[in-house]
Amino acid sequence: MARAEDAPSIEGDAEERRLIDRSAAGDQEAFRQLVIRHHRLVINVAFRALGELSLAEDVAQEVFLKVYKALPGYRHEKPFKHWLHRVAANAVTDALRRRRPVVSLDDMEQPPASRESDPVDVATRHDLQRAVRQAIASLPSHYRDTIALQAFGELSYDEIAKTLDIPLGTVMSRLNGAKRLLRERLGDLVRSEEANTA
Amino acid sequence: MLSHATTRDWLIPYADGMLAADERRRIDGHITGCAACAAELREVRELNLLLVTLPPAPPLAVAPFWLKLQAQLPARRTLRIPTFAAYRRLGVAFAAAAVALVAVAGSAFAAPSALPDNPLYPVKQIEEQVRLALAPSNERLPVQLQLANERLREAQAMAANHKPRLAENSLRAFTLILDGAAVSLKNPANPQATKDALLALRANLDAVERVNANRNDDVAGIKQLVTAAGDELDRIEHQDSVTAPVVVVGEQATPEPTPKATPTPKPTPKPKPTDDGGDHRNQQH
Repeated sequence: MARAEDAPSIEGDAEERRLIDRSAAGDQEAFRQLVIRHHRLVINVAFRALGELSLAEDVAQEVFLKVYKALPGYRHEKPFKHWLHRVAANAVTDALRRRRPVVSLDDMEQPPASRESDPVDVATRHDLQRAVRQAIASLPSHYRDTIALQAFGELSYDEIAKTLDIPLGTVMSRLNGAKRLLRERLGDLVRSEEANTA
Repeated sequence: MLSHATTRDWLIPYADGMLAADERRRIDGHITGCAACAAELREVRELNLLLVTLPPAPPLAVAPFWLKLQAQLPARRTLRIPTFAAYRRLGVAFAAAAVALVAVAGSAFAAPSALPDNPLYPVKQIEEQVRLALAPSNERLPVQLQLANERLREAQAMAANHKPRLAENSLRAFTLILDGAAVSLKNPANPQATKDALLALRANLDAVERVNANRNDDVAGIKQLVTAAGDELDRIEHQDSVTAPVVVVGEQATPEPTPKATPTPKPTPKPKPTDDGGDHRNQQH
C-alpha cells in the first residue's frame, strides 16, 4: 500500500517535539512550522475523502484549529502524526456525514492532468470515487473511522492500530467488516469495474 | 486445506498483504480449487483499487492557508523559553537593579547625616522636603524645628572646617525655616515641646558662634547671620503665644492638657554666658 507521501518521517524527531511544546505554549511561529510540515498530509486526507478542494481546505483548517487548541493537553507518548491522523479522520468523516445528501458531480473538483483523456472515462472514474466516498460515509462509525485511515490516510494496519489505540487484530476485524459492507453497497460498481479491468 | 468459510474470512487481509507466508500458501491452496473464493478475491482487490486510487489533492500554497488559519487561532498566553541572550540581558538587568538598590539603600542610610560638603547632601535635602510635605499639619512644626536644628549642626561643622560659604548657606536656610514656621510658632500644638526645641536651637546657634569666634580667621558673614538668627529666636521666644497657651475653640482645640496644668509659665531661660560675654543678644533685645 502506498505511504503518506508528503509528511516527513518525524517520529522521535526532537525538533518536532520542540515545535509542539512551543506551540502548546502559544508560540504561533512554531505552530506555523508544524502546519508547514503536515498541511499536505491533512489536505490529502480531506481531499480524498471529500473530492472537493475548497471543502478539503476548510476541513484542514478545522483540523489544525482543533490541534492547536488541544496541543496543551498533548502528550508525547503517541507520535504526533498518528494523533494528527486521528483528528483528521474524525474531521473528514464528520464532513462526509454532513455533506452526504447533497453531493453532486458539479461540486466535484475536476482533477488536474489525468491519465484518462477520455471524458467518458473521467466521468466514470469520478462516479466511482463519489460512490466510494458515499459508501464509506454510510458505514457504522467504528468501521468508517478505520477504513478512512486506510483509504484516505493511506495508513498501514499497524499504523491504524497505533493511531486508534486498538490491537492489530481489531484493525483486521474492522477492516474486514468495513470492506464486506462496502462490497455489498458498491456491489454492481465493483463488479462492473472488475469486468472493465478484466 | 482451509475450509471455504475460513478462507472467505481471511480474503481481505490476504489481499492487503497482511498474512504471513504460511497463511498465504494455505489461502492460495484453497483459492486454486474454489472458483467462488477466487471471484470474491477479485472483488476485494477491485475494491482496494478503488480505495487507493482516490486522488491526492492538487498542489495548494501553504502561505495563504496559514494566514487564513492564523486569523482563527485563539490568543494564548505565550510562555517563551528565554534564550541564552535573554538570560544574559536578564542578568545584566538584575545586576543593574541590585547596584541601584544598594546605592539607593546606602544613600538612604548615609544621607540624613550628610553635611553640605558631602555628595549625598542633595539626597538629604530631597528626603527632608518629602518628609516635610508628607507630615500631617499637626506634626509639621516639630519637623520644621528638627530641620532648623539640623541646619545649625551643619553650619557649626562647616564653620569648624573653614567652609564659611557653606556655613552661611546653612544659617540662611535656618532663618528661612524659622520664617516658614512663624505662623505655627504663634500657636503650637505642644507649647512646652516647642519651647524646649527653641532652647535647643538657641544653644546650637551659640555653638556656631563660638566655633566661628574660636578661629583666628573668623568670618564676618557668619557673625552677621548668627546675630540675625539670634534676633529671630529672641522675637519668637518673647511671643506670648509660646509662653502663654491660648484656648482655642472648635476643631483646632488641642486636647493637650499640659499648658492648662501649669498656669504659671516658667521663666524664659537665658543662654549661659560665654567666655567672651556672648549673652549680648538678650541685652540688645
